[in-house]
Amino acid sequence: MTDLSVASFLFLSGALLAIGLFGILTRRNFILLLIAVEIAMNAAILNFVYFAAFAGTSQGLSGQAIAVVLVGLAATEIAVGLAIVLALNRQRGSINVGEATTLKL
Amino acid sequence: MSVEELAFLGLAAIAVGTAMLALLVRELVHTILWVAVFFVSLSGIYFLLEAPFLGVLQLGVYAGAVTILLLFGVMVTRKRIFSKEVATGISPFPFALAVVAMVVLAVVAASLPVPVTLVRSYDVTLLSTALFQQYGAWLVLLGMVMLSALAGAIYLVREGRE
Repeated sequence: MTDLSVASFLFLSGALLAIGLFGILTRRNFILLLIAVEIAMNAAILNFVYFAAFAGTSQGLSGQAIAVVLVGLAATEIAVGLAIVLALNRQRGSINVGEATTLKL
Repeated sequence: MSVEELAFLGLAAIAVGTAMLALLVRELVHTILWVAVFFVSLSGIYFLLEAPFLGVLQLGVYAGAVTILLLFGVMVTRKRIFSKEVATGISPFPFALAVVAMVVLAVVAASLPVPVTLVRSYDVTLLSTALFQQYGAWLVLLGMVMLSALAGAIYLVREGRE
């Protein structure tokens, strides 16, 4: 593992962020949008874990602690997002974000 | 090339491939299954990076809970869960934006100093000390965010609201 550079890790998380960005911009289904946001968020969490692994002991554990908090936040976001999906589905009968033009529920 | 390097390359390829497949296949249930594979491959990368606690957390929270929640969302919002999405083509502007973002990030990443030695620093006692002492306030904050999210989610989906 010693000869793996930081660049290769950053390249992976950059690729994941780009894929997530693409999904957020193009997909119309609300659940697909949530999945794209999760992919982009996982790219960010991955960065924290990389730099935690390449830093010293104390800084490294800080990075892992931040990543733990971020995983919890991402799970919370999915839960609220799905609640919005259910409310949208009941109100409009569709979860297409193009049809959700007013934010009244 | 060491075993760990090969494992990283394989897991990274699986992660990128499944992330793309998840956003490009037309059946929503297949999307969720691909994204579950994506989460599992990321957890493998966490194990490679000497973060087994996070790897297990990723498996439990993402590959377990988030996947089931998404499947549940598909189940209650569709009459037939295997119906296909309307085909949405790859529109040029978002694709170009994603490619540009990717290229910029790759150039920045390539300009960083190479290679750095991996520090074998994992110790679950130290991690829990860091989590509950140094970052205790963050954990409390996360708990409050989760509590308000719970209340908000129940408010959004409750019956009989006009």
